[in-house]
Amino acid sequence: MRPLIVWHIFRKDLLETLRDRRALFTTIVIPLVIYPLLFTFMASMTRSKKEEMEKKQARLAAWGPIPESALRAVLAENAVLVESLAVVPGDAKERARKAVADKAVHVVLVTPQDSQGPSVPISVYADSTQFESEAMGERVLKVLRRAGVQLLEQRMVALGQPAISARPLAVEEVDLADATRRSASLVGTILPYLVIILLASAAFYSAIDLTAGEKERGTLQTLLTAPVQPLEVVSGKYLTVLTMTLIAALANIGSLGLAIGRMLSGVGGGEASFHMGPRVVLALFLTLLPAALLLAALFVAVGVMARTYREGQSYLMPLLFLVIFAAIGSVVPGAELTPAMALVPLTNITLLMHDVLAGRATLALGTMVIISSFAYASLGVLLAARVFETEQVLLSGEKPWKDVFARKAKGGLGPASALFFVAVLVVVAFYGSIPLLRAITREQIGRAIAISEVGFFLVPAVLWVLVLRAPVSDAFQLRLPSRRGLLGAVLLAAGGWAVGLVVMAFLSRYEGAREYSRQLGDLLGKHGPLSLGEAVLLVAVLPALCEEATFRGVVLVGLGRTGSRWLAVVGSALAFGLFHFNPYHIVSATVLGLVLGYAAYESRSLLPGVLMHFVNNAFHMVRARVPALEAPFDSPVVIGLGLLATAAGLWLLRGSGGRPGPTPAPSVARASAVQR
Amino acid sequence: MIEAQGLTKRYGDVEAARSVSFRVEKGEVVGILGPNGAGKTTILRMLAGILTPTEGEAKVAGNSASVDALALKRSLGFLSGDTALYQRLTPREVLRYFGRLNDMDERALAARIEQLIDAFQMKDFADRQCGKLSAGQKQRANVARAFLHDPPALILDEPTNALDVVSGRFLLDAIRKERQRGKAILFSTHVLGDAEALCDRVVLLHKGRVLDEGPVPEVIARAHAHTLTDAFLARIGDES
Repeated sequence: MRPLIVWHIFRKDLLETLRDRRALFTTIVIPLVIYPLLFTFMASMTRSKKEEMEKKQARLAAWGPIPESALRAVLAENAVLVESLAVVPGDAKERARKAVADKAVHVVLVTPQDSQGPSVPISVYADSTQFESEAMGERVLKVLRRAGVQLLEQRMVALGQPAISARPLAVEEVDLADATRRSASLVGTILPYLVIILLASAAFYSAIDLTAGEKERGTLQTLLTAPVQPLEVVSGKYLTVLTMTLIAALANIGSLGLAIGRMLSGVGGGEASFHMGPRVVLALFLTLLPAALLLAALFVAVGVMARTYREGQSYLMPLLFLVIFAAIGSVVPGAELTPAMALVPLTNITLLMHDVLAGRATLALGTMVIISSFAYASLGVLLAARVFETEQVLLSGEKPWKDVFARKAKGGLGPASALFFVAVLVVVAFYGSIPLLRAITREQIGRAIAISEVGFFLVPAVLWVLVLRAPVSDAFQLRLPSRRGLLGAVLLAAGGWAVGLVVMAFLSRYEGAREYSRQLGDLLGKHGPLSLGEAVLLVAVLPALCEEATFRGVVLVGLGRTGSRWLAVVGSALAFGLFHFNPYHIVSATVLGLVLGYAAYESRSLLPGVLMHFVNNAFHMVRARVPALEAPFDSPVVIGLGLLATAAGLWLLRGSGGRPGPTPAPSVARASAVQR
Repeated sequence: MIEAQGLTKRYGDVEAARSVSFRVEKGEVVGILGPNGAGKTTILRMLAGILTPTEGEAKVAGNSASVDALALKRSLGFLSGDTALYQRLTPREVLRYFGRLNDMDERALAARIEQLIDAFQMKDFADRQCGKLSAGQKQRANVARAFLHDPPALILDEPTNALDVVSGRFLLDAIRKERQRGKAILFSTHVLGDAEALCDRVVLLHKGRVLDEGPVPEVIARAHAHTLTDAFLARIGDES
């Protein structure tokens, strides 16, 4: 790659982008104008509403024998009694609701008949869905509580005790955060989320324009006739998208930060304030950079697969939703930056930004976030470069997406159908599990497992294959491996359990994983409702058949049509992991899925996966019930031997099914797009 | 100079081009003719180094696409109906950009740009954004881009498409001048009249295969026809 060429491409793309006035206006100018206007308006509205409420008279209704002193105290605080009933109506709550809904009163005070003695109950009826009623209700409650304390003081004095004895505990609430940090924390909750969305929006526009837009305008081919390499083109475009993303994001953040700061100072009457010093700005920029790097790479990689601007939008929109989903991390209550969270892309950045703004970021976690984000960004760039090197993507005039990921032949499976199938499974499993969980008791866990394995995996997979009219033997890889493959499968089955054991040992550092393990043990162990035979049948045999047919069959075969081993193996492993729902189980299942997927892809047979899956699950079932087996299999030597057998098995399986991949795609009429 | 040696391009079971071989020598214009879907663009793209052949080899000025695609592209000017210009750049900026991508020296590049602006009568619109130019003006700028680094070979894929008579004539004249300067020119077109008037030899292509190749009179004679159009239709009819 020649940096000078990359520089020329970058400079040209940037110049062209900056000349697109509509884009500039949308991504930079409008936010600079809109945020101040919006937040100034909101601040002004909030302030004026607050002032209005302070001045506004509360309209009260008093039903029943409300203590006179209490009523006097309430009326003394800017309130007026609009209705007084000596007797409490029978349907007091309903009548109060109607009176408040009709705006006749804000609050209704109710004291039941015959309420005498040292403690008189007073109910304060207000409607929390109505701003004024809620505010007035709070005001009245505060006054009544104060009046109650005053009454108690009077009683203590009457008993010859000092008034202060009415307050045996003088409790004071002290917030350790000062006003600035309080507001910073508030801003820190919202800002990172907004920042990621803004970055993604900016990357979204530039990426489509420079990839699908260029293709649609016919300039990409012009560029490819020049002596440039695909990686130089992608690097130049990537740098442009990155630059535009950062420019737009900085403009947005600056405008947004100032606007929010101004609004906070308005709301707090000057008490709350928010200032971003140079160190905070620098720290924010450092966290922004990896996010922008990653987003730009992802959006360029996906954008280039589209042939038109419109198609680019439809490809990038789901990605944008994923980004939003990841960015939500910072606004989830209680979400904190932990070492594990520091590895979650984008969520880690929003959490780090939150900590930076709240003034509690640590160097160690910050470094982890930045390093992991740079790593993800690098992977994104490599993906973009890889996509750019696919000539069909760059040149085809018809269906580039299908060209890259190999067109699905009539009656066959393809990557798009595999992804759609996973989406269908999610829907089936999610909605199917709702009535299942309601109907099934602990004692019926066996039935639940059987229903979910067959109903959520096997049946949908078979139906999917039948609907697509795919050859069943291809879709489920129903063929015997070669002799070498068979030997590999046996070794894999013999040692594969060690992989699961190692992953579980790693995960057992986390309390969540230990707790999940305990729950599973309780349900499926020797004290559970299943006998050993039932457990092996339901937890080892059924998943080995149903899940393998689904994930190493339909999903892996479909993804394998891309011609990319890694996309097939990693994609099917991720899908497999996803259906284990518990976060810790997802990790271990995904790792196992990688091994199973590799075995299935290389052997072009379902058998190695079925064998390993069965042995692995059965091993854990039996081990949980036979304490004598625990110690030997905890031995590092035995585990090492297991891992060695796994490695040998995978080595033997490599290429044992012949190439390319699982069931080469029947490519009917693939080339019509480019054959002119 | 331009050499197709058994070029084959397969997309799964479909062959977009099948063992296509021909040569274009210095100072020669060869027309590649065929109906839509004949595989013309695929072959030209393989020769230009932007598509990788499944089999065979593409060479320009001795540079093989499989060995050194960049050297091949440097010895080639490529122009097609699909090669558009950047709408928000001016022709002068486009030329400067492509000159830099071709590693041209900045001073030589500036002089060459002025020379082309003059030769292609682009003075009036050289500094106007391409998005605001007429089709003819855009094509002049595009031809200038393809000729910019003065390559020994030119591949022109239906370059007269969507051009009016004046612009079309201008382009054909430009091609003739380049032939006189010793360039090897491979030219594809739907307009058989253009081919008959301009090409020294033609290659008739159908369904990815070469049906006939040779000087225009010979191709006409072999088809027992009177014009290239008749010959073309006769050969295609034989194959259908």
